Amino acid sequence: MTEPIVRLEGAGRVYRKAAVAVEALRPVNLTVHAGEYVAVTGPSGSGKSTLLHILGCLDRPTCGTYRLEGRDVSALSDADLAAVRNRLIGFVFQRFHLLRDETALRNVELPLLYAGVARGERRRRAAAALDTVGLSARTDHRPGQLSGGEQQRVALARALVKEPRLLLADEPTGNLDSAAGGVVLGLLEALHDRGVTLLLITHDPDVAAHARRRLTIHDGVVREVPTGHAEIAAP
Amino acid sequence: MSSALWPHLVEGVTHVVRRPLRSFLTAVTCAVAIAVTVNVISLNYGLDEDIRNDIARFGRLTIDVGRSPLIRPGAARAVFGEPELAKIRALVDGLDAVVVPLRSEQVTATGDAEAARTVLAAVTPDYPRTLDIDMAAGRWFGADEHGFSVCVLDRSAARSLFPGPASAEAAWSARSALGRRVRFTGGEGREAVVVGVLSDPMTYRSLFESFDEGRGSRTLVGALLSFRSAYVPADAIPSPDLTMVHVKLPDEARLETARRRLETVWPASSDAIRPDVIAPVTVFTRKTWMDAAGNVTQTGAFLGNLVWILICLVACIMISTLNLVTIRERYDELAVRRCEGARKSHLVAQVTAEGLTISVVGGLMGLPLGYLGAEVLRRIVSFPFRFDPRYAAVAVGVAAFLGLVSSVVPARRAAGLDPAAVLTRRVT
Repeated sequence: MTEPIVRLEGAGRVYRKAAVAVEALRPVNLTVHAGEYVAVTGPSGSGKSTLLHILGCLDRPTCGTYRLEGRDVSALSDADLAAVRNRLIGFVFQRFHLLRDETALRNVELPLLYAGVARGERRRRAAAALDTVGLSARTDHRPGQLSGGEQQRVALARALVKEPRLLLADEPTGNLDSAAGGVVLGLLEALHDRGVTLLLITHDPDVAAHARRRLTIHDGVVREVPTGHAEIAAP
Repeated sequence: MSSALWPHLVEGVTHVVRRPLRSFLTAVTCAVAIAVTVNVISLNYGLDEDIRNDIARFGRLTIDVGRSPLIRPGAARAVFGEPELAKIRALVDGLDAVVVPLRSEQVTATGDAEAARTVLAAVTPDYPRTLDIDMAAGRWFGADEHGFSVCVLDRSAARSLFPGPASAEAAWSARSALGRRVRFTGGEGREAVVVGVLSDPMTYRSLFESFDEGRGSRTLVGALLSFRSAYVPADAIPSPDLTMVHVKLPDEARLETARRRLETVWPASSDAIRPDVIAPVTVFTRKTWMDAAGNVTQTGAFLGNLVWILICLVACIMISTLNLVTIRERYDELAVRRCEGARKSHLVAQVTAEGLTISVVGGLMGLPLGYLGAEVLRRIVSFPFRFDPRYAAVAVGVAAFLGLVSSVVPARRAAGLDPAAVLTRRVT
């Protein structure tokens, strides 16, 4: 069997503030293989975002290990984590998080800037990514000139442009109407069909239903919804 | 600088352009600080440099031997005449010195106008060699000219005696005094033709005179600096008394030798100021005085520097605060950059480039503002405010430094941002 993209082994997260410790994510084992489409559902405050941040190398587990493509990233330096995020992970956020003063093209170029790609090549690849999400006519528009759905598609193009091994989407349709949400989910589906590994976080069961595998998270505990083939267990 | 950081510096500059209003407002703060800085530096160092140049014209290698300006109450006036001159010549023998005896009187001179308290100085043709001052017009008198046939005027004396029409005051020329006749009080036939006008060594004469008002004529230095004299050939005042003897040496080594030799007979003027050792005749080494005067201007320059440094410090704090507020508003943007792979060093480079760009642009904006300020101040107060491009260049350097310093804290804040905390709104 090939090395999974994601392997969490007893990975948990405790936040400490003064003498108070809050266990945001209880130790969990989780494996996600290349090409999977996984949805994580759970109510607000359940630990979904904490899981996403650990998987996205934005945060480190306080216990256990996290292997991304076989490499233990739990103890990497800040600079190395930045490089991992830049090379392997794409992000799509609920609030889009586009740079409001920059055009759609410049927003999509952003990850390539930090990858050290030359300007001309950045432009070419960013334009191609925008074309993939159907926004080739909007390259020079700023976020304020785009609809919510279009902004999320720009964010999707930004995540895609670096050809990530893992795409993390945090409530990608949470700020969209159903039509725009449908378009975004369709794009995610298309990406999955092209072999991109997707991990979607949502509290909406209808959105989660698009995934091939479903996990639930409650009070920091992750459980498999027994419909797929993922392995999940408490350590 | 690492070439890998270059795109992030460009990113910083681009960000400045994308937010023109905020960038402009921050730049204005910097511009005001730089405008003040350029004026204070120009005033500071410009004035200092001018004063040093002025002082240097008074003859650095000349020693003056003369009656002490201070007399012990009840003491008789010192004898200072031909025997003392002979003694001086003997003391500086072998040093290639030029020795110029000077006899003077205070007279009222009359040309087109009357000038009271003019110093009438009878000197030998070598007198100009004791100074480093050029002729403004005409020539000095020669060895074949005697008595009250010819005279040379200091520029300010010439201007007082031959002011010309009031309408042409600004265009007054020293040449206009040449060939004119001047009458001096103190006897019959005291009338001479002006053959030359000596340049004024003082760039800011009016300023000096306002400082020196009421005291200048009473001190040796004041008399030296007043430069309101009329010079006539040595035999025009046939008195056995000498006012002063100027000794010009060819170099500093021989100046020092001459000073030591002269002070074996007469004390230095600085010693003479002590009331317990008031000497009738003193030795005044101009170089010593010039160095002391230079140090005084240095103190002024230090105080001036303190002013602009304080102003820049305040500007730095203001810009730093503005940058910090801006960074706080940009937490989302910076967090997204971190998500997409920006390292801390990338954000530090970007934020520093933003601060540097704004402050340099502000500095350049401050230059015309400084020029304008100098013009306005020059009209309001009679002080030599001026705009000097050399000091403007220094001010732009100061602006760049300001930008760098005021970016340190915001850059650290940006680099230390936890993107996960921002995106989950644990930090806002």
